[in-house]
Amino acid sequence: MSKIRLKFSKTGMGKYISHLDLLRTFTRAIHRAGLPVRYSQGFNPHQLITFSLPLALGVTSETEFVDIDFEDGTDKCEVVEKLNSNLPPDIRILKASVPECKANDIVSARYTVTLGLLKAVSKDKLQEFFDKADIPAVKKTKRGEKEINLREYIKSYELKSLNEKETEFEVILSAGGESNIKPDIVVAKLCEFLGDSADESVEIHRTEIFYTKGETVETFC
Amino acid sequence: MKSFESKFEVCLKKVQKPARYIGNEFNSVHKENFSDLVSFAFCFPDVYEVGMSHLGMKILYHMMNERTDTVCERVFAPWVDMEEELRKNDIPLLSLESHIPVSEFDIVGFTLQYEMSYSNVINMLDLAGIPLKSADRGEDDAFVCAGGPCAYNGEPLADVVDFFILGEGEEVNNEILDAYKEWKNENGSRLNFLVKISAIEGVYVPAFYDVEYNSDCTVKSIKPNRDGVPEMVKKRIIKHLDDAYVLDKMIVPFMDIVHDRMTLEIFRGCIRGCRFCQAGYLYRPVREHSTEKLLDIAQKLIDSTGYEEMSLSSLSTSDFTCLHQLIDGLLEKTIDKRINLSLPSLRVDNFSMELMEKVQTVKKSGLTFAPEAGTQRLRDVINKNVLEEDLLRTSRIAFEGGYNRIKLYFMIGLPTEMEEDVKGIAELAQKVIDVFYSIPKEVRKGRSVTVTVSTSSFVPKPFTPFQWEPQNRIETLIEKQKLLKDSIKTKSISYNWHQSHVSFLEAVFAKGDRRLADVLIAAQKKGCKFDGWDEHFDYEKWLEAFRDCGVDPEFYAYRKIDHNEVLPWDHIDIGVKKEYLMKEHDRAYEGVTTPSCREKCMGCGAASFGGGVCFE
Repeated sequence: MSKIRLKFSKTGMGKYISHLDLLRTFTRAIHRAGLPVRYSQGFNPHQLITFSLPLALGVTSETEFVDIDFEDGTDKCEVVEKLNSNLPPDIRILKASVPECKANDIVSARYTVTLGLLKAVSKDKLQEFFDKADIPAVKKTKRGEKEINLREYIKSYELKSLNEKETEFEVILSAGGESNIKPDIVVAKLCEFLGDSADESVEIHRTEIFYTKGETVETFC
Repeated sequence: MKSFESKFEVCLKKVQKPARYIGNEFNSVHKENFSDLVSFAFCFPDVYEVGMSHLGMKILYHMMNERTDTVCERVFAPWVDMEEELRKNDIPLLSLESHIPVSEFDIVGFTLQYEMSYSNVINMLDLAGIPLKSADRGEDDAFVCAGGPCAYNGEPLADVVDFFILGEGEEVNNEILDAYKEWKNENGSRLNFLVKISAIEGVYVPAFYDVEYNSDCTVKSIKPNRDGVPEMVKKRIIKHLDDAYVLDKMIVPFMDIVHDRMTLEIFRGCIRGCRFCQAGYLYRPVREHSTEKLLDIAQKLIDSTGYEEMSLSSLSTSDFTCLHQLIDGLLEKTIDKRINLSLPSLRVDNFSMELMEKVQTVKKSGLTFAPEAGTQRLRDVINKNVLEEDLLRTSRIAFEGGYNRIKLYFMIGLPTEMEEDVKGIAELAQKVIDVFYSIPKEVRKGRSVTVTVSTSSFVPKPFTPFQWEPQNRIETLIEKQKLLKDSIKTKSISYNWHQSHVSFLEAVFAKGDRRLADVLIAAQKKGCKFDGWDEHFDYEKWLEAFRDCGVDPEFYAYRKIDHNEVLPWDHIDIGVKKEYLMKEHDRAYEGVTTPSCREKCMGCGAASFGGGVCFE
């Protein structure tokens, strides 16, 4: 058995492909490509495909990962080439490797957020939001709704640029099995704080995923 | 050309299932040089997941896009949440591929698959900003055309549609596109184009025909109002399926659609002639693909889609002459790839153990049969040609083979139906259950059995022997549903039925005439849309629309029509002659069945196309 980890991007209209649809898209692309994928045992066999960290609907990314079990001796380059010609244009395989880190160890992800604000906003006002000790919010979970303090999920904030038309900043948010938050909740709360309906023109883009390796936090790859 | 891209994107963030509107699926066609090409907007008047399940659209989409001089893009009805966003943001209806306003296409074509999608046709034109009535469109407006089974009596849309395309589109669509190019070079007027294409067989320009009515609202006459226009418009068929354009790739959607699988069309038409079935007459004569060709197409579909299921498509799968040979060949291609093969539309009279075992090789799916009526007498009236023994024998085979769930389809409200016919449905279902328990426990699988009985309400359709028949009143249908419900004595039978209000309107529009266009427009203004969806169907609004227009819907659905009356669709020639339908109508009342096309030719008229089963 050889597990191959594929790094891919999801851009353009591809951000509206849901997680479940993405799985289906990969399954069929692998089928079309004729790649020697392995199947699960049991009554209803399915391809052995695991995504490392689901991406929220409406978010683009340059750093998504999927692990696929292939038969022994499957050539990594061939996988990249064949999949790219069988995937829709908004999903591109960037690289194939043998997985070294585990998806279970993922702790956070970095996002670039671009807001086309309707009214001018100051640097200080933004900072004020991210400096708050308490940002009450409601998180939807499988079991229902849960009241949370959003602040605990925001690991870092950095303003990149600010002008009349556009505000761009980076945030690192909790991600993975332990504690996970969708970036759109943060943006919605921010806009609420700013008193602006800018969430209509927001663009969120995932740029990096992090995992813990012993005491340190490193880039997931 | 104004771009709505950024505004459109904002809408996507606010709606359910945005994947309905993004395009870019694998095998979809995106052409760059839009303005240099003849552009055809292929509109399906329902939501994406329904429209994308339709085979005809897939065929014509890829066929037109293979032309280097044409671009065909898809358009679906936006779901209500999206429509609200579009209207709020002043965004017109856009095509799926390039997000180009539908009104900027040269030809806007609707496929009319069911009558209850007519309100969506009007709503989509309204969203597109195209004048709703043909007469109100100017020189710069798009041409609006329509095809599909409902186009054969498209009269309710006659004031809306510039031209109808009757029959199979593989040839005639190309002829229309050629004519469009020629006309564009000639710098002709709108009228010139319509005159030009009215000479193409299969093209019906309703504005070129005058309809006169009698004082009792029946049709007096339908006559061409200009020279050179045919008295009768004849449908088009593809004589040799193997030689025509063949669909060997399909768009693979991102989201789950209604029929999310490969479709392999094995033949067109049906040899049977069930007297209620419009498709059985519209698509005559039967024409098959060769097994060799089908295996070739199947391989290409498998390679180009990556789908995990293949479904055979036809009106009656088990009537394909070389079915076993075909299935053996298909299994060779599918088993190793874990592709499930499904065979819908099986008949109980030629169902075999061998066939069942074959389709089970990959995955076992449920079995569905359609006896259509509860008693032999009524099955003879409708010419279903299925015996009770056939159903029970088939059920036995299925139970012994490990099935313990069977679905049975019936119709209520069929001509001549009596109380015992309705009760007969429950009795027949009970007999199927008895078969299960008569099998030794060691042989059958599972301790219990479920039979699901579904009834739809009979809708008299044009071009069938029952086109002269009145429909049962809604109250009567509801009574019959209740009678059937009360006749079911066991929990092993579950019963579900269709809303009879919908069936009533279906009958009205199926047999409607030109006076219904105003009703459709009035209903759309009141907000009628997605009438095929229970949660959106609003019967009261429809009744208001009829009242406002002074049109009595019962006139169309509940009237027994005399054989001598002029029918609103009498100027349309489907090959099968009106005299033949009359004869079949009489035979129904005599309880005499008619043999299938392969047993004996009854001279229906379809032989005039010079091909298919008529010359086998």
